[in-house]
Amino acid sequence: MTKVFVTGMGLITSLGDSVVENRNSLCSGKSGITSLELFKSKYADSLPFAEIKIATEKLKEILSVDSADLTRTSLLALHACKQAILDSGLDSSQVKSMRTAIVGANTVGGMCLTDELYKDSNSKEKGSPFLASYDAGSVTLFLQKHFGLKGIANTINTACSSSANVIMYGSRLIKNGLADRVIVGGVDSLAKFTINGFNSLHILSKEACRPFDKSRQGLNLGEGAGFLILEKESLVQNRNVYAEVSGYCNANDAFHPSSLSEQGDGPFNAMKGALDLAGISTKDIDYINAHGTATENNDQVESVALLRLFGTVPPFSSTKSNTGHTLGAAGAVEAIFSILSLYHSELYPHLRFTDPIPETKLIPVQEYEKRDMKHVMSNSFGFGGNCTSLVFSKV
Amino acid sequence: MENTVLKEELKANIVKFLNLISVNPSDIKDDEPLFGEGLGLDSIDAIELIVLLDRVYGIKITDPKEGRKIFIDINTMVDYIEKNRTK
Amino acid sequence: MLYIHKASCISPQNTFNNVDLSILMPSFENMLRAIEPGYEGIPPGQLRRMGKAVRLGVGAALPLLKDSPQLAGIILGTANGGMEDCIKFLNQIIDYDEGTLTPTNFVQSTTNAIASQIAFMSGNKGYNITHVHRGLSFENALQDAMMHAIEDPTKTYLLGGVDEISDYNFNIDFLLGCFKEKFTSNDALFNANTPGTIAGEGAAMFLVGGQKENSLACMHALSVLTSTDERELKESFAEFIYSNNINLEEVDVFISGENGDRRQDNFNTEIELAMPPEIGIVRYKHLTGEYPSASAFSLWLACHLAQGNTAPAHMVKKVGAKKTCRNILVYNCYQGLQHSFMHVTS
Repeated sequence: MTKVFVTGMGLITSLGDSVVENRNSLCSGKSGITSLELFKSKYADSLPFAEIKIATEKLKEILSVDSADLTRTSLLALHACKQAILDSGLDSSQVKSMRTAIVGANTVGGMCLTDELYKDSNSKEKGSPFLASYDAGSVTLFLQKHFGLKGIANTINTACSSSANVIMYGSRLIKNGLADRVIVGGVDSLAKFTINGFNSLHILSKEACRPFDKSRQGLNLGEGAGFLILEKESLVQNRNVYAEVSGYCNANDAFHPSSLSEQGDGPFNAMKGALDLAGISTKDIDYINAHGTATENNDQVESVALLRLFGTVPPFSSTKSNTGHTLGAAGAVEAIFSILSLYHSELYPHLRFTDPIPETKLIPVQEYEKRDMKHVMSNSFGFGGNCTSLVFSKV
Repeated sequence: MENTVLKEELKANIVKFLNLISVNPSDIKDDEPLFGEGLGLDSIDAIELIVLLDRVYGIKITDPKEGRKIFIDINTMVDYIEKNRTK
Repeated sequence: MLYIHKASCISPQNTFNNVDLSILMPSFENMLRAIEPGYEGIPPGQLRRMGKAVRLGVGAALPLLKDSPQLAGIILGTANGGMEDCIKFLNQIIDYDEGTLTPTNFVQSTTNAIASQIAFMSGNKGYNITHVHRGLSFENALQDAMMHAIEDPTKTYLLGGVDEISDYNFNIDFLLGCFKEKFTSNDALFNANTPGTIAGEGAAMFLVGGQKENSLACMHALSVLTSTDERELKESFAEFIYSNNINLEEVDVFISGENGDRRQDNFNTEIELAMPPEIGIVRYKHLTGEYPSASAFSLWLACHLAQGNTAPAHMVKKVGAKKTCRNILVYNCYQGLQHSFMHVTS
């Protein structure tokens, strides 16, 4: 069975609108968690958000697209996807090949337009231009059309683990011979829908979030998009390879719709399964990009699961302390961050940590550090008990 | 005996807000635990009860942990509502 | 090769418990709503929170989970999941001006709520995923299951497709022009000769795996296309037949996803013309209405026919030359853009 390599990456988050800018921000310990400037919400003054400070109209201009039905979500996805294709050096015929698949992820699609959706769904007259842009599939369908993609196309939604699953799924398409290369990625933009949803669960922090800290008060919502190009080994030849997708596993916690079980069976099984597939043991993992949302439940349970599996937990951090929780984008964004660590042999500082959780006492990486690494892990857990872990290895 | 009226009203509201399809409001005992044993409610229900207090009685609770101290049983909830209601 | 071991379906027709397709249940105001069973198997404490899509999915899955081998995972396709809950929550946001909102609608509205609810109820800690690629949601779930059958043929998975009609997605799709302007009853769906179709909903669930023993049917091949071009469709179909070594002379029945929308007739005609004249043609969208994962129903129907059941006259577009029904081709087209072909044998 062929190996699967990452040959291109594209990013846009509150840390910057390219992979390079994001890396610079991570190295310097920059936080993208600020107050809202562009997005209108009742919570603009009371809650911090990791907003991308580029207006939707400006994004259209930058991307030279101008269609009335385009949502911010589709534009962010296009931005990151374009970069990833460029970065991998694929030409137009390769992109349009029947053997090139796309697997996208997002959790609320065009529902960032909450007010328009409200009007459209409650009326039978005069629809907005966004009628076909609300569902999750609309984002991938837009990318298919924009790039003239002909191969297998799919969209996955497993809540906050969605775009970790697209990396797993894309790798499986290649290993099963259904595609030679797969464009994979995730996106979500800030939406009243998710802001009020997480707020109704009382898990939004009033201050910039503090993952794995004893005094954590919840998460901050962010927005972003991350795309990667996965290719089968034989296509790569002498082109640049960032990493091998060596392990992945999807497991369900089967406990509760919106919280994880005390023992963290879902996270434990996902991490263990990913290690098993990669054929490595716990001591081979050099860094873990934790899910680390900074909710009371997640960080407690993730710590328990880490201790159960690893005993001595390797260096870890949550880059949600930089980007907030980007939901459907988080899995792909954090996979790219993990790969950057591996590729550039460096660890980025986790922000705002002071005191460990008393029961588990885990302390994240807090200083920038150069370090040679062979294998890194990225965790993504979602509502519905949907847990996925990925392992990337140096090539 | 305003207290009894409030208790009955609260039980009906709990059944309505939590959509307890198999529960008759009169089945809920005043001193029966709402969480764990008894009705077997969970963390999402606790938040739904916060919404109930806000919408029906004009009581704002921001910390779910505070809610759990009030939502012990019908008696504790009624006490709290009587002291804090704004409507 | 993916083998289907059990199938279960909740639809607007009598497909659950005692299957009887001879009586056509009528549509109402261009909607065919699912006949929901009593859900005796779902604990009231859980049922109270479930929106319709979750109920349909869990309800259809339950009979398959009873006395089943340990499931390795749950693989679902749904374009919208709990749309009703989603818009209920949205309405709260606007109506209460982003005030104190009830979280249940939000938690239930995530499209993965159906697959995860089945996992909680059955204690299944395995693979759990939800494919949401609009009109190819179920096809992608099927593709996922087919890969799993190759990766480990010994394992069994729950595979399914679910979507619901809500007043809201009906409005949105109506505004998009998906449904007929005038009320058209489902028994006259194929004679209307007007644009648009009627709305539907349902859940079809399957136990699937790589082992042949005691299977109902075999999912031999699957292919998809996204295109508005008839010529591309024709080429894609030819490629599907060729690359999967399908002998069209051996095909007994063609299950057509024809939905009464005049604007899509060209696609259906293109596929019908590509087939030998003696093939029988069966239609089903007047039973189910149109919805993004309706192709899950077509697979349930293929399994039903492959078991030796015959399609009643109201479903038969053309009587075939063959009495047997062991070799079935299925074509579906969603909104004139997303197409799929399946080859099912028994």
